[in-house]
Amino acid sequence: MSMIRIEQVSKWYGSFQVLAECSTQVNKGEVVVVCGPSGSGKSTLIRCVNGLEGIQQGTIVVNGIALADPKTNLSKLRSHVGMVFQNFELFPHMSVTDNLTIGQIKVLGRPREEALARGLKMLERVGLKAQADKYPHALSGGQQQRVAIARALAMDPICMLFDEPTSALDPEMVNEVLDVMVELATEGMTMMCVTHEMGFARKVADRVIFMDHGRIVEDAAKDEFFGTPRAERAQVFLSKILQH
Amino acid sequence: MNELDWTSIPGALPILGHGMLVTLQITATAIVVGILWGTLLALARLSGLRPLAWLAAGYVNLFRAVPLVMVILWFYLIVPALLKDWLGVAQGADIRMVSALVAFALFESAYYAEIIRAGIQSVPKGQVSAAYALGMPYGLTMRLVVLPQAFRNMLPLLLTQAIILFQDTSLVYVIGLADFFGSAYKVGDRDGRLVELLLFAGAVYFVLCFGASLLVRQLQKRFAT
Repeated sequence: MSMIRIEQVSKWYGSFQVLAECSTQVNKGEVVVVCGPSGSGKSTLIRCVNGLEGIQQGTIVVNGIALADPKTNLSKLRSHVGMVFQNFELFPHMSVTDNLTIGQIKVLGRPREEALARGLKMLERVGLKAQADKYPHALSGGQQQRVAIARALAMDPICMLFDEPTSALDPEMVNEVLDVMVELATEGMTMMCVTHEMGFARKVADRVIFMDHGRIVEDAAKDEFFGTPRAERAQVFLSKILQH
Repeated sequence: MNELDWTSIPGALPILGHGMLVTLQITATAIVVGILWGTLLALARLSGLRPLAWLAAGYVNLFRAVPLVMVILWFYLIVPALLKDWLGVAQGADIRMVSALVAFALFESAYYAEIIRAGIQSVPKGQVSAAYALGMPYGLTMRLVVLPQAFRNMLPLLLTQAIILFQDTSLVYVIGLADFFGSAYKVGDRDGRLVELLLFAGAVYFVLCFGASLLVRQLQKRFAT
């Protein structure tokens, strides 16, 4: 059963085409890694999946609900889809605890006590229970990103979207974030991850998508992708980032 | 004029005090209404809805392009008619205060709207994305995520604008309203001690405004983290 279905999606910024007839899907429980050179449209694509960006052509269906359907309550749909951003985007004027509970209380309508318990449980899961009362600026980048993951998880998402979650991190902090993501993946969370972390892809991905110039040029099972990528552009890309 | 004679000031303090109350009342009203109405104008201007954005832009540009003195006079001349038509207030009632409050509130809104618009734009777009991604609709996103950060960023500017506003209230002399400046002028005129009274009033304005601006600077330092 497909959790995310992307069909013939095209998008333009003015006359510049950022996405060209992209089609793919993410099945329930599947982990799909999206990679490609910068400017290839991978971040744009994942932002389109929960409607943060609009599309001009094609359809996107999440959990059986078409985003473009006028009857779709986009906010409600988003509340079930966790998203993690490159720059963490914790709310700087709120404590870690408030960051974790605000969505649960104001969007899901959970009682404060329940939201707090749920939030702290997720915080413990990412290994940061001791930081509950701090403000985001007092945390390291890696810690902020783990809180951001906990914030998304506290909403009990049906799937998670990761938009380059480790690219803004100092190298020594990348792994603490990836560890959390690997754990999530092995627990069966449906995940779509835009990332250059090929180690992560090798470890937990079911499929790897390679994008270039707004097109999906390779969409293959992990072993096939790392074994013999068919698209020449993907081979060049892989050889470049796997060299070191 | 030979020597300065301050003796008429102590006796005039009750009148001056009442004038200061009028000044503060106009200032406070204009700040509160200005920030509320200014926020709505800023949101309208930033909204994707063209007609709404144009209306807000038109309002802001109009008020920012005419002198405050003129606006005060306009409202003094317009408000009586409106009050009579809409509320049935008897003609001849003293509407100077009401018209001044309305004029200042609407005029300051235009300035506050621009400050608030800049404040909203100073909040990174990613914050909006993050709020949306949590399932917050537009209203919640603004109220819980964007505006609190925006107001924090623009607090020094808002306070500076309040200080300017406090000084500008003296312009109500054109409609004969006895604010602090107006009262000082009247007392000075009555006692033939205009120079002394105006010097005294100027000193009071200076102390209050300069003190407030020092406070703003202090605040700015604390928030500049």
